[in-house]
Amino acid sequence: MAQTISRRQWLASSGLGLLGCSASGWLPALAAAGADEARLRQRHCILLWMNGGPSQLDTFDMKPGHAHGGPFQQIATSAPGLQFSEHLPKLATQAQHLAVIRSLSTKEGDHGRATFLMRTGYRPGGPVEYPTLGSLVSKELGDDSAELPNYVSISPYQAFNPAAYSPGFLGPKYAAATVGAREQRPAGPAAADYAQLGLDNLRLPPGVDPEQSEKRLQLWDTLEQGSLGGSANRSAVAHHLVYQRAVRLMRSQAATAFDLEQEPAVVRDAYGRGRFGQGCLLARRLVERGVPFVEVTLGGFEGNSIGWDTHQKNFVTVKSLSAELDAGWGTLMEELKARGLLESTTILWMGEFGRTPKINAQSGRDHFNNAWSCVLSGGGIRGAQAYGRTSPDGMTVADNPVNAGGVLATLCAALGIDPLTQNINDLGRPIRIAEGEPIRDLLA
Amino acid sequence: MPIGRFETVARVKAAGQKPRRRCFTLLPLVFAAICAANAARSSWADEPEPASADVSMSRRVDELLAAAWAKQGIEPAPLADDGALLRRLSLDLTGVIPTIWETRAYLSETRDEKWSELVDRLLLSPAHATHLADVWRDFMLPRKFDPAQTAGLIGLQNWLRRQFVENRRYDRVVADLLVATGGDESGPALFYTALGVKPEELATTTARIFLGVRLDCAQCHNHPFDHWTQQDFWGYAAFFARLEQRSQNAANMRLIDIAAGEVRLPGTDKVVPSQYPGGTVVDAKEQGTRRQQLAIWMVSRDNHYLARATVNMVWSQLFGRGLVEPLDDFGDHNPASHPKLLQELADWFVASGYDLRHLYRTLTNTRAYRLASRMPGPIDAPPATFARMAVKSLSPDQFYDSLGRVALKRRGESQERLADPERQAFLVKMQRQTRSATDFEVSVPQALTLMNGPELGFAVDRAQSGLLAALDAPFLNDEQRVEAAFLAALSRLPRDNERAQFVDYVRSKSIADRKQALGDVVWALLNSAEFTLNN
Repeated sequence: MAQTISRRQWLASSGLGLLGCSASGWLPALAAAGADEARLRQRHCILLWMNGGPSQLDTFDMKPGHAHGGPFQQIATSAPGLQFSEHLPKLATQAQHLAVIRSLSTKEGDHGRATFLMRTGYRPGGPVEYPTLGSLVSKELGDDSAELPNYVSISPYQAFNPAAYSPGFLGPKYAAATVGAREQRPAGPAAADYAQLGLDNLRLPPGVDPEQSEKRLQLWDTLEQGSLGGSANRSAVAHHLVYQRAVRLMRSQAATAFDLEQEPAVVRDAYGRGRFGQGCLLARRLVERGVPFVEVTLGGFEGNSIGWDTHQKNFVTVKSLSAELDAGWGTLMEELKARGLLESTTILWMGEFGRTPKINAQSGRDHFNNAWSCVLSGGGIRGAQAYGRTSPDGMTVADNPVNAGGVLATLCAALGIDPLTQNINDLGRPIRIAEGEPIRDLLA
Repeated sequence: MPIGRFETVARVKAAGQKPRRRCFTLLPLVFAAICAANAARSSWADEPEPASADVSMSRRVDELLAAAWAKQGIEPAPLADDGALLRRLSLDLTGVIPTIWETRAYLSETRDEKWSELVDRLLLSPAHATHLADVWRDFMLPRKFDPAQTAGLIGLQNWLRRQFVENRRYDRVVADLLVATGGDESGPALFYTALGVKPEELATTTARIFLGVRLDCAQCHNHPFDHWTQQDFWGYAAFFARLEQRSQNAANMRLIDIAAGEVRLPGTDKVVPSQYPGGTVVDAKEQGTRRQQLAIWMVSRDNHYLARATVNMVWSQLFGRGLVEPLDDFGDHNPASHPKLLQELADWFVASGYDLRHLYRTLTNTRAYRLASRMPGPIDAPPATFARMAVKSLSPDQFYDSLGRVALKRRGESQERLADPERQAFLVKMQRQTRSATDFEVSVPQALTLMNGPELGFAVDRAQSGLLAALDAPFLNDEQRVEAAFLAALSRLPRDNERAQFVDYVRSKSIADRKQALGDVVWALLNSAEFTLNN
């Protein structure tokens, strides 16, 4: 029996039914009174994705005095009894909002497979195209009529496993709007000071007025209906959706969110001038404007190495990545708090796995998925705690093991999403958002 | 023995050389000897087979696919219409959409042979070699490769293009690449420098593109899913351990094979000896540099990987996905969708003398290649059945060159094309991460570039576009103008509803504004899903 997918079913699940309208139907509706208030009540999620697998032993689960410990010192934090690496001083002052899970134990130790597991909650393989976390959450929290995209991914490194970044069976409607995946640094010395994350070409080109643009889009819409009618293919649908989003964004006042030049230099500098720091600043600006899910990646491909994948020179690399992390994430926490947004914004810090406690001959640490850490913080999270425990040598989980499903279910619960929520996949099968139980101790 | 009989031939030839002397000049003789041995061992001729053989292999491909459909209870899609087929073949073989004149001529032609004649004509066109060079360059270089290294890029492109113009045996192209030294042949050198001349990077990439396997998973640890071990990986990497780059300057860059250099198992001092994929350690008495030893193994009959990986890659380029998918993941854990078809094609490719042009001709002459990309009913067929043609996205190269064709801009075939700064800027902006043409990957910022950026300006701006100038001719009426724009961009005539709306729009404008209105028509066509997809 052949496995077949009804296009009609797929189109329905991708939300194509909404597209019958003409181009002019996308003109932004007038903002309803009180929208700002509603926006403040809305929940947001920021995923700080640590590409390559960050070392838990040199960040949030240190083993001072043990041979596995490495050279870094521990420092006290604002939470009694909770200690972090000396290279995370700013985060140490935010520890009352941070809950470290020290007892992650997962089943995948290969970058591609583990990236899929941690970003979807499911192990790779089999017929189901599981959606990535950002698609799942933004579908629940997002607003179809919003001007800004519901899911923005900043500087992603997708090469380990593109499927782990895809909306899967939810369809392209729920795909991320990607920013700065690969912009080149500009040539000018002044502009080169900050990583450039802005969106180009938001405005109509010179000589084209709004009326002409509207006519163009009407002609274009007729052509699109020809590709979309009947049994349309996924690529045509994806094309249509990305254009629809682009047009909505062009017509939006909210698009100024992407203009980081509007921020004073002192703020930009506090976040750090690199891609991650500026990405965290952009995440704050997007959350302020109601975007429900933003992910910022730290640890893409630089030169010949991949971020946190510290098989060699672990301590040199982790120290410099920690500085970027601390400035970006620490400032993000402070600024969200100052704006009253921290209670409604849940932040998850996570990579695809941790690193081996044993230090190898190249002063490196290798892949380790047996006992490692991630951090939840902000809205809905009870901070100032470490959940679970590893053995004194860091090799095993001693207390309260947590798997990928547990992390994602807890995140959902913190965001006010029922983890039992099901989506229907393209084969008509119900799939839970997260297979796992929320960890009550971590919830506020 | 990994090399069997050929090794004897190689040694006999090598015996005439002084010991320890590097034998760059020896290699052509070795290959000649190998080919002679190949011919002697079998009835296979080195010359391309007569055209009639195309038909039989094309039919065989259709037969095997049809048998699978019957077994799965699938009714394949009908044949695509002529305009779509012409556009598909032009994009797949020459990397650019057909000109409006080609389209008009092809649509008005009624003879049955017009398809196979078109295939032959495109295969011999200069644009075909250019396109294959684009495809292979993209396949070989890391995605992160910096397009600013234009000199090296042009060198590699020219070298590849020359191989495809001459239709050299593909196994020899691979062997030449594996022993490239730079200097006069600066082309392939970029392949090495883009990978930092590092044994592990070169091992990973050559295994991916020439053997179809992901050895790199075994770089750090034994791979759990197939039989490649860490020892296998580093044994293969050892072939690239005695290589040095002299001079950073692309113009006179040389790669030198040096006498010493080893790889070690990570975290140990254990030297790993060079070892052919499949497990045979190189005999210490074997002559030549390590790279030459690998090159000889690569073209030998002991290498079962090269032919399979190559037919799979070409299949994927034409049909949107490989018989083994992903292309670089051959192994027991990931069987082919049509194992018999893959094996027969690989055997046939070897028998043809690794004749790439012949392979393209054979596959594009199948009925399967000419199927429509839409199923007639609401039920889609799974992609791995090939019961309909896959819908492929135009690569950024194809997109830019097709824009140029719509705007009637001449496309150069080499130097000036890659060095064009506008083209480069466009490609950088439109880069994507996926290597699969069936994954549509355009981000919101990229869509904004296409709608509002200066890149489309030369096609839609009344002052710049050659097409708009041509459409302005006084002997055309507005309906003919709209028709011509559709033919130029989509290789088809407008449908009735499109015709009515587009012609009305142009007519609503004054004569003075007509050119701008036609620019709007072209803008809509170039931003449509149909333009950016190869249906």
